[in-house]
Amino acid sequence: MADADEDVIHAPANASTQPEVDLSDETQDFRFLNHLNFFADSSPGIPRRGEKDFEPNPTELQADVLAASRGAMHNALSYPRLHGAKTRVIAFYAPDGYVPPAQPDRAKPKAGEDGKSSESTPKPARPLPSSARISPDACVYVPSPKGQFFKTMGQADSSSRVWLLPEEALYLIERGSLDIRWPSPSAGPGEEDLSVPMSLQAAYACFMGRGGLTLERYSVYTGLKRLGYALVRAPGWCDDIEPQDTDIPDASQAAPAKLHGPGLAGILGSLFNWIHDPLSTASTATGPIIGTGIHRHYMDVYRKLAIIPWYDPVTAPERHPFDTSPPFRVVFHIYKPSTPFKKSAPPAPDFRIAVVSTRDQTTMPTMTQLGALLESTPLDPPRGEKMERMMYMRLRHGYRNVVMAVVDQGVVSYLRIADSAFGKEKLYENKGGPQGPKRSRTNQKPRKR
Amino acid sequence: MDKPVAAKSGPASDARPPRAPRPPRPNYRQIHQFPLPVNVHHVPPVIPHNPLSLISVALSYLTFLISPPRQEVYSAYFDKTTSSIHVTDERSINALWQMGFFGKGSLSRSEPSWLAREKKRRGLHNGKTSEEMTRLRRTERRELKLERARMEKLAIEERLKAEAAAREAGVSEPLDQAAQSTPTDDTTNVTAATTEKFSLKKAKEARMLEEKKARELAAQNAALAEQNQPETSSNNKSVRFSPIVQKKEFLSTSPSSLQLPDSVVDNLDSDDFPNEEHLQLSNEEAFFLAYSLGALQIYDSPSKLGEVQSTSSITTSALLQQFCHHSFQPARDASASLLPDDPFMISYTVYHHFRSLGWVIRSGVKFGTDYLLYNRGPVFSHAEFAVVIIPSYTHPYWSETEERKNYTGEKQARSWWWMHSVSRVQAQVLKSLVVCYVDVPPPAASLDDIGALFGQYKVREFLIKRWIPNRTRD
Repeated sequence: MADADEDVIHAPANASTQPEVDLSDETQDFRFLNHLNFFADSSPGIPRRGEKDFEPNPTELQADVLAASRGAMHNALSYPRLHGAKTRVIAFYAPDGYVPPAQPDRAKPKAGEDGKSSESTPKPARPLPSSARISPDACVYVPSPKGQFFKTMGQADSSSRVWLLPEEALYLIERGSLDIRWPSPSAGPGEEDLSVPMSLQAAYACFMGRGGLTLERYSVYTGLKRLGYALVRAPGWCDDIEPQDTDIPDASQAAPAKLHGPGLAGILGSLFNWIHDPLSTASTATGPIIGTGIHRHYMDVYRKLAIIPWYDPVTAPERHPFDTSPPFRVVFHIYKPSTPFKKSAPPAPDFRIAVVSTRDQTTMPTMTQLGALLESTPLDPPRGEKMERMMYMRLRHGYRNVVMAVVDQGVVSYLRIADSAFGKEKLYENKGGPQGPKRSRTNQKPRKR
Repeated sequence: MDKPVAAKSGPASDARPPRAPRPPRPNYRQIHQFPLPVNVHHVPPVIPHNPLSLISVALSYLTFLISPPRQEVYSAYFDKTTSSIHVTDERSINALWQMGFFGKGSLSRSEPSWLAREKKRRGLHNGKTSEEMTRLRRTERRELKLERARMEKLAIEERLKAEAAAREAGVSEPLDQAAQSTPTDDTTNVTAATTEKFSLKKAKEARMLEEKKARELAAQNAALAEQNQPETSSNNKSVRFSPIVQKKEFLSTSPSSLQLPDSVVDNLDSDDFPNEEHLQLSNEEAFFLAYSLGALQIYDSPSKLGEVQSTSSITTSALLQQFCHHSFQPARDASASLLPDDPFMISYTVYHHFRSLGWVIRSGVKFGTDYLLYNRGPVFSHAEFAVVIIPSYTHPYWSETEERKNYTGEKQARSWWWMHSVSRVQAQVLKSLVVCYVDVPPPAASLDDIGALFGQYKVREFLIKRWIPNRTRD
């Protein structure tokens, strides 16, 4: 029954069991858009997609369905997108980047050069957000922010203006949720409304390439943002900071790389084995490694066989984010929509993502690059009762993990990379045998492994 | 109208007919109880409060001292022309397959089962080999698909009929609906007409084909049948909805395929025929068996047919050299120096690493990877992991000169497209992709200590899986 691998291919294409069906890969049936009500905001549910025909057939039914789908799409696209008077948010472009509030326009003392003005605020009960967190790359400010977007975007300064990063501003203007104005030469507090609105083209021209924002990073940002994730820039955003010194970490990495086969334990083990089995003639020089004597247990045999050193992710030293080679560096921290996210104190990210352009970096990372990328993420060993029970899950989860977004001319494919130490799972000690009998596949409820 | 829905969702779940109960499987647990072809002798347990147990332990030691049990050593030969290891001894073949799943039958897909299949064919043996089971399953599946296609076709035809009827009704009585879209009505009329013609033509074709076939069968002309073969297969696509044609084709081909071997068989003694199959070991498997377990002795191949094999086996260090030279195509000259990043060295490092952890590791060429990892063995469970190997050169030696940098850069380069195709294939066959980097040491001074040589390599595994943001939102 060694053929069994082959029938896996022909497994029934059940949508619930197929792990890799990505709905966004398919041509869509747009009729579901008909059920969307654009005028009433009382439809929170996401509409279901229709069924798909694989071949054209001459029935009128199919033609009608196709026409209806097209009509629905056009209908949805032709819906006028306007800035509602109520939800309108106006922002101003600051070409010189963040400037601390100069005028004490709200009866506030002038902030310091770096914006640290918390000691001079009149209301100590509510600590003002520290302006120090505002990135120097921020170039758009919103004087009166409102709406849900500012829950996860932007940073407020001491005069409660929210400063947006280029990608945030671009995302919002593209979405139609923000009206960015060019700075007017005589910008007074009251005259701001007279300034000229910025077009989408101008926004792209102004923000793309500013402060390390590349088109690849922006596609990843918007793609995930539209799915509801919250994204913040990671410390490794800047490419300019080169690895501080590549030689030192290499040496320090080489030092703790202890051989897991013949160590002290190995010597002790062989001594014990010698007592245990005096006829052993084990020799790694010319073999046989396990010797020609009497073997008492297969575990001993396997232990003797372990001569190949392997990498242990637990003992490996953690690296600084800048100690990685630039395209393979975490640039975004990602939070699931379900994760409670607070701008002022972001929790530990759910995912860390590195963005790679296939046109600049044409090959896969080498072990050094990939290893450095993973070592710059914190240790995340498999935990939980389920993980303890299931070895395959442990191996798949790994000890560290990172998501790599590979952008090929605008097409983003994400890869989750995990540092899985097979050497830490001694399969031969596993008494239980494989999880789940092979026959389970033919049962009524197949469990895909 | 219910039919198309049923036809669409059916085949996946409920349309599958209940399978005939399979014949009981052999007791694999018993057959493959030993994970490696190494004899293991357990010591009787010591029970502290029972002095007799001590005696039994002492006795077992004594018997081993007086007459040590012999470790079985199997023999194989290295075939230089094909760079492969052959095991021809029946007992060795069985032992190596049953204990650790080493090798592959040269005439079988995996387990050497040619003899059983041949006996079955000659009616000497009943029971089913795995190859036959697969064939059966495939026929079953093909029939299912044909049935599904037929159902879909039926549904479409019914739909067309209904639409034509509705149109007739619409035309006969002046309706306000007809006014709104006359051009589309026209086109649909035309398409409907063509389809009806089309299906009619198809039916005609099918009938003609059947008639032709019947005539051919009557004539019993083998040459004509062969000529017709490609024609039927090309027509097959348009007529695939009709199961009759399929059956006919099957019937017409089956006697011709069976006839020839049978006539050959008849003049053979059907009871006694030699096993034409041998077990073929990969170089990594052979080296593992010879060097690590000492369970295999490898001889040079007999240069002439009938010549006695050379009596002395190849030493492990000579074997390593030979395998390394044969890891290139064509094999390198025997005098060439050993490279530390020789493909054999790297693949053996990975092979040994996973074997020493208890995995049954076999070639993954079927899935476009280097290796597959089985838990206990292929008869027990599907492979969960598929391994691809990429060399890595982190040692400072490799970045000393520009030439070496270029060389290593070329060696470790893998394109994103390659990565994506490998990972998508693995997802489709429900395996997890393991990218296994092997850190290559600088060239070694001597090859005397093989263990120390392999101890310089280092293995690091990364598990790479496609991440679908839509599915991790919670």
